[in-house]
Amino acid sequence: MITTLGIIIIVLYFSVLIGIGIYGARVSLKTREDYFLAGRGLGSIAVFMALFASNITAFTIIGHAGFSYEVGYGAYGYVIGWSIFITPFTFYLVGYRSWLLGKRYGYATQPQVFGGIFNSKLVALIFLVLLLYYTLPYLVVSIIGGSLAFTTISDGAVPYWISSLVIICISLIYTIPAGLRGTVWTDIFQGTLFLAVAVLLLGAVAQALGGFSAVTERIVEANPAMLQRGLSEQIAPINWFSFSFINSIAVIVFPQMFTRILAARQPGNLKRVSLYYPLAMAGIFAVSTLLGVWGSAAVPGLTGKDADNIVPLLIHRFLSPTWMILGLLVILAVVKSSIDSQLLSFTHLVTDDLLPRLKRISSSQAVLWGRILLVIFAIAAYFIALVRPAAILSIAAFAFSGFSVMLPVMIGALYWPRANKYGACAALVFPAIMLHLWYLGVLPEWTTFGFMPVFPAFILAIVTLIAVSYATAPPPPEQREKTFGIFDRVFKYEEPEAGETARVKSR
Amino acid sequence: MIFKVRLALVALIVLVMFVLHNSFWLWDLDSRVPLLFDFMPFAFSFYVGYAVLAVIAMKVIIAIAWPEPPADLFQQAGEKEPVEK
Repeated sequence: MITTLGIIIIVLYFSVLIGIGIYGARVSLKTREDYFLAGRGLGSIAVFMALFASNITAFTIIGHAGFSYEVGYGAYGYVIGWSIFITPFTFYLVGYRSWLLGKRYGYATQPQVFGGIFNSKLVALIFLVLLLYYTLPYLVVSIIGGSLAFTTISDGAVPYWISSLVIICISLIYTIPAGLRGTVWTDIFQGTLFLAVAVLLLGAVAQALGGFSAVTERIVEANPAMLQRGLSEQIAPINWFSFSFINSIAVIVFPQMFTRILAARQPGNLKRVSLYYPLAMAGIFAVSTLLGVWGSAAVPGLTGKDADNIVPLLIHRFLSPTWMILGLLVILAVVKSSIDSQLLSFTHLVTDDLLPRLKRISSSQAVLWGRILLVIFAIAAYFIALVRPAAILSIAAFAFSGFSVMLPVMIGALYWPRANKYGACAALVFPAIMLHLWYLGVLPEWTTFGFMPVFPAFILAIVTLIAVSYATAPPPPEQREKTFGIFDRVFKYEEPEAGETARVKSR
Repeated sequence: MIFKVRLALVALIVLVMFVLHNSFWLWDLDSRVPLLFDFMPFAFSFYVGYAVLAVIAMKVIIAIAWPEPPADLFQQAGEKEPVEK
């Protein structure tokens, strides 16, 4: 039953989102860079909340809690452990150098950055195709996951098709008028709401279960295996190691994350984000892990998909109806903050990298096209989420891995002057094909040597890039200078190597 | 300190963090180390500490290998070139 307080909370929530959409439309300029990159003017908090909120999905609060319910405390390190460090590190490793090139040459997407480095339309096209190919299923699965969670937490009162419709429509309310600026502002609002409610929820559940130490004692007595990582097959060391190559390193490759890094106003913003990010991710996944593990003691006996309902079940059984409303808003917030960014980046790639191949469009026309395409893609994603085609779902199962195996080319392009367009093309296409052969069961399992397919595919990408680049002509000096001349000026500026002093000083 | 040494230090930090994350030999401690604050078993508290370590590691990386760009970098001749599309 919805209380008066619950209705007030819902009305306030939607009012804020609509207000952001209206205000965002008033301050936005009708230029491509303003609409898709917020004029490259995002501050530290904006970039941080944009990256954080975009990377939090229904899995964080629902799926991960269910996984923790089954696996125990080890789920925490398995899922988020390596990400805590390596994701912010990639903001430095890939993000900063890409930001420098974006700022210098006006690049706004991965196809532009890496097509520009290799001076190759083919590299740009392969990046574009792969990013669209992996982003669409990822987007659809986010909508499906979020809608299912929304329906579950409303105890079936809101049917699946309405959940999907609500989630997509609300995302469009502020994304269409205000572009990236609108999604970032809502990310700040929704991310704050999400963090605050999650912490309060943890405290409320702990209190309902007798306190932090009491519920932990029950787990120690009833199921001590939950404390020991070595007793779970799902997180066996070889899986644990392989998983390091999936979600954590894929984050910087997601187009919505990459674009938001390019939208930072200055390097100091990225530095601060790299310091906030580990604590925020560790914090939010800690809440989800504890809720899942505690749930195994409070509501024992769930298996498989039922375990994913543990957070809604805890709220239902132990907390008041107002918490259900807050839970619904949290689900809406996390789902929408990732869906709006995926929709916008998908549209951005098509508008900025595909349309110009077909026809010349001005900056203001690009904004108009962006708005039209947002609606078209949202409608398409909605119907795909309703039908749930098997092909889309099977691609989504390894979309993260697909993003991950693109990383070696991105790093090679930014750090290895000898890398060339032939190596990049081969290292993008060959591992992607192998990944499909492994995940679709065409190649036998033993060919991955027991690892998840992403690991051998990642190694293949590195080997292919090096071998093909060495086997073909090096990039022309002027092309290398265009990229590495910038990096030399930035990274070797203060203390040039011996023999290079005069060259650097003369610049 | 020359840039290559800085880069080597960064690589060393990444390696240490990767080894710490994959420190399977420490898993035996899961059942032996007492609960931290009466509710955090070792499998959990290890990553709370790891998060703090990650912030320190990023602080060090920022200090040794993340310079600001020179002020004139974005005001040079030619300005923005046409992007690859």
